[in-house]
Amino acid sequence: MAADTTNLLTVRDLAAHYGHIEALRPTSLNGGPGEFVTILGPNGAGKTTLLRAITRLIPSSGKVEFKGQDVTKFKTNELAGLGIIMVMEGRGLFSDMSVKENLQIGAYKLPGSQADKDRQLDKVFTLFPRLKERLTQTASSMSGGEQQMLAVGRALMADPKLLILDEPSLGLAPRVATEILSTLGSLNKEGLGILLVEQKAPLALKLAQRVYILSSGSVRAELPTHEIKSHHDLAKYYFA
Amino acid sequence: MPSIVELTQSLVTGVGIGLIYGLIAIGFSVIYNASGIVNFAQGVFVMLGGMFAHSILTRYGLPIWLSAIIATILVAAVGVLVQIFVINPRWRRNAPLFAIILATLAVQLLIEQIVILTLGDQPRTYPEFTSGGPLKLGPIAIPYQLFWVLGVGAILVFALTQFFNRTPMGRALRACAQNREAAALLGIPVERMLIVAFALSAGLGAIAGILITPTQYTAYLIGTPFGINGFIAAIIGGFGSPVAGLVGGIFLGITQSEAIVFFGAGFRNIISLSLLLIVLMFFPKGLFGGFAKKA
Repeated sequence: MAADTTNLLTVRDLAAHYGHIEALRPTSLNGGPGEFVTILGPNGAGKTTLLRAITRLIPSSGKVEFKGQDVTKFKTNELAGLGIIMVMEGRGLFSDMSVKENLQIGAYKLPGSQADKDRQLDKVFTLFPRLKERLTQTASSMSGGEQQMLAVGRALMADPKLLILDEPSLGLAPRVATEILSTLGSLNKEGLGILLVEQKAPLALKLAQRVYILSSGSVRAELPTHEIKSHHDLAKYYFA
Repeated sequence: MPSIVELTQSLVTGVGIGLIYGLIAIGFSVIYNASGIVNFAQGVFVMLGGMFAHSILTRYGLPIWLSAIIATILVAAVGVLVQIFVINPRWRRNAPLFAIILATLAVQLLIEQIVILTLGDQPRTYPEFTSGGPLKLGPIAIPYQLFWVLGVGAILVFALTQFFNRTPMGRALRACAQNREAAALLGIPVERMLIVAFALSAGLGAIAGILITPTQYTAYLIGTPFGINGFIAAIIGGFGSPVAGLVGGIFLGITQSEAIVFFGAGFRNIISLSLLLIVLMFFPKGLFGGFAKKA
């Protein structure tokens, strides 16, 4: 099959197992440059497994392409160099390190001089001013919302082309979750491709252009978000 | 009851050997923190440091400083080979941690046998780095080599602290220790970091061995006692920062040394192991708490 050069991300028949358990049935999806794509689905639908398979954290069959390049055999750390960065579920912060150190590590693969890294740091501070106030604090001592800001800010330090997020609103107060997701919306308007897994459907649907509905380890539907009018529509696909 | 002079003299001896334990403990911590692996081959790096330095010194007649540098590099290379050929294949196959730890024990025995076959089983030593001495402070004698151990230990702890806190590679190693998946997602090559950890750890063990050989001796079998004492020091320190490892080592060294003065040489290990049990009872995370953070 020819490489797809029009999409930022193309996933073809990606499947994954945990031992003998089939966690993800052959799944295909794509995301265009600068597109905001959301994956919705109930608990245990295989959303996290799908993201972990895309980022090569778990072995899988199928194919993953980024900007037309086959990255199926790439290691996780090599994907970061291409511009694919994921904020994992639970944030994955380096909890004993300071906010500043977490952000510095985020720029590990950022090419360029220290001045470039400082510019990137300023961009992150513009988006999340609270991080600047907490610079010397350890990540573990921050509130849940601040930690999520740090996780997103750290991912942005790498200047990604595709930002993948696994349930960034998990465990956050609605106001904080809205604030963080709105920031993602702004970043998307500036051209950043986003692939978001989220359980808070209303928030995600406001921002995304396209939605995939995942249930029982496979894609049940792919549709533009404006076609989803109510929770009822979603439930129809969730339990189809 | 021992005299003040005996106590002070044993204190000096204890600090010296404790610094060596400390360097070995830091080696344990570097690998453990980067991977969760307790490298039981750590003691063998200490033995190789002294053996290689002695061989280079006697066979090629190089000055001690050059022999020490070459020996350290060679042992670091052995550490890299251990990681690539023993640890990494198991790591990639998701082998249980205890299987990898057992493999490091096998490496220790294997290297000991290779040393017996190639370099022999006879103990060997070389002169202290600075001739003359010891420095006499009244009735207290301080060997010049102790100043080398103190100086090199202080420089290494300072350098390692700077490395872990101020360099991208040092921060990346710490990141791997805390969350390997998150580190990989940010582009950090975790397996390569493990190679760096083994090289660093082996190099530290070698330096400890090179420093201690003039005051004692080196032989194929010294790896085990040094490894065990370094491991105890690492646990007492809490498998944390370089300073924690060094403090754990000095604490252990002084205790062993004073135990010999008070109760005789036979009580050395009884006292040090009792100390370990007491520390773990009151400070289950180690004196500096890093062990529990990781666990």
